[in-house]
Amino acid sequence: MAVSRRRGVRSRFILALLVLTSLTLLTLDFRDSVFVRTARDAAGSVFSPLKGVGESVGAPFANAWRGITDFGEVKSENDRLRERVAQLEGQDVLNAAAAQQMLELTAQLDLEWIGAIESVRARVVAGPVSNFAETIDISKGSRDGIKVGMPVVNGAGLVGKVVQVNANRATVQLITDPEFAVGVRFLNGVTGTARGQGRGKDLIVDTRLAPGGADIPEVGAAMTTSGIDESVFPENIPVARLKETKEVGGGLTLNLVVRPLADTEKLAFVTVLLWTGGS
Amino acid sequence: MTPSDSFLVAARLSLVMVIALTFQLAIAPRVELFGVHGDLMLLIAIAAGMAAGPQRGATIGFVVGLIYDLGLSTPLGLSALTFALMAYAVGHLQPLVIRAAWWIPVVTAAAASAIGVIVYGVFDTMVGQDLVSLSLLKVALVVAFWNAIAAPIVVPVMRWATAPAEGLRVRSVYR
Repeated sequence: MAVSRRRGVRSRFILALLVLTSLTLLTLDFRDSVFVRTARDAAGSVFSPLKGVGESVGAPFANAWRGITDFGEVKSENDRLRERVAQLEGQDVLNAAAAQQMLELTAQLDLEWIGAIESVRARVVAGPVSNFAETIDISKGSRDGIKVGMPVVNGAGLVGKVVQVNANRATVQLITDPEFAVGVRFLNGVTGTARGQGRGKDLIVDTRLAPGGADIPEVGAAMTTSGIDESVFPENIPVARLKETKEVGGGLTLNLVVRPLADTEKLAFVTVLLWTGGS
Repeated sequence: MTPSDSFLVAARLSLVMVIALTFQLAIAPRVELFGVHGDLMLLIAIAAGMAAGPQRGATIGFVVGLIYDLGLSTPLGLSALTFALMAYAVGHLQPLVIRAAWWIPVVTAAAASAIGVIVYGVFDTMVGQDLVSLSLLKVALVVAFWNAIAAPIVVPVMRWATAPAEGLRVRSVYR
């Protein structure tokens, strides 16, 4: 009886110790402690090769699973693609001209956003690992000049920011991640902070706008990064378009629901801006 | 447990964790149902509670969670806290689960997984994210489903990993 009670006390003591340690680590993480950053970097260096091996070994199984779960969709997509290929075969010349135009347009768009900022293109090598955190892994890392906090874009606009870097790989927090926040500005000058709401969901911009005010942006209005003060993003990167407005705080202020321009669920390549202006 | 037993258990646990982490980071995200994949690391912690009891289970759960937190960009210590609590709670059911019918550890693992996901969501909401919603319930149910499938493999593996050399010959999770 006494032994059993002693064991109970000991196990509760150990649990209390573990809880305290967890809370300490959480506090250190929120204070962006060097200790936590170093530990994450070291762990990233160890886990990166593990991920690589696991992805190589698991790819056939994952593809087989996708084949099972997406069979209907794959079949109908196959039919659509066959029809499309037949159409395209007769339009080679037109396609070549369109492709050229698209390249030129993309180059102009890139110039507009990036300006003189150096950038690195990277391939997306892994999707979200957690059911809650919206992150992707890309094929470039610190050897290519990538650092934590750098903005990540694609042809459509802002994709996210780098949150973890190893030598040859980096983790990008997507704009849809619930922890992601970015200062934004509408073309009419209204500013606010856009926050991610999770996979497949729109962003919410909290502003100081009052319902019925004259400066409320119209539905469809585009917004870009504001670059205000010490923002981690340079200004004028396209972010999203206004979808709808919502009254909050008992109808005293407005939240804006905005749809991201970049489709974060279908990313193949991204561009990392080697920009650390906000740090 | 003798020092050589402790060393053996640590070696086995390290091996299991490396394999589980590789699976969790590289393979599990590609095998989704309704956009949700299994949480093998949470299952490892729960199975540790079943196999080793509340005290050792909580410690193993904490380490598993900490490693998982380091592998993700989620707040460091959040998974460690959740996993330690879940392993501790499940560890108290050890006498009921250990020699029960084969399906009892499976159901226990599924229920504990669902609760673990919700507890994680609540903690995450407390530290700034807004995860408490209907979609959290969906994630909890799908994770419970995946983990129930994996439990018949993971629970005996954790039983093997946490047992001293002597105990391996006489103990088994399933009758």
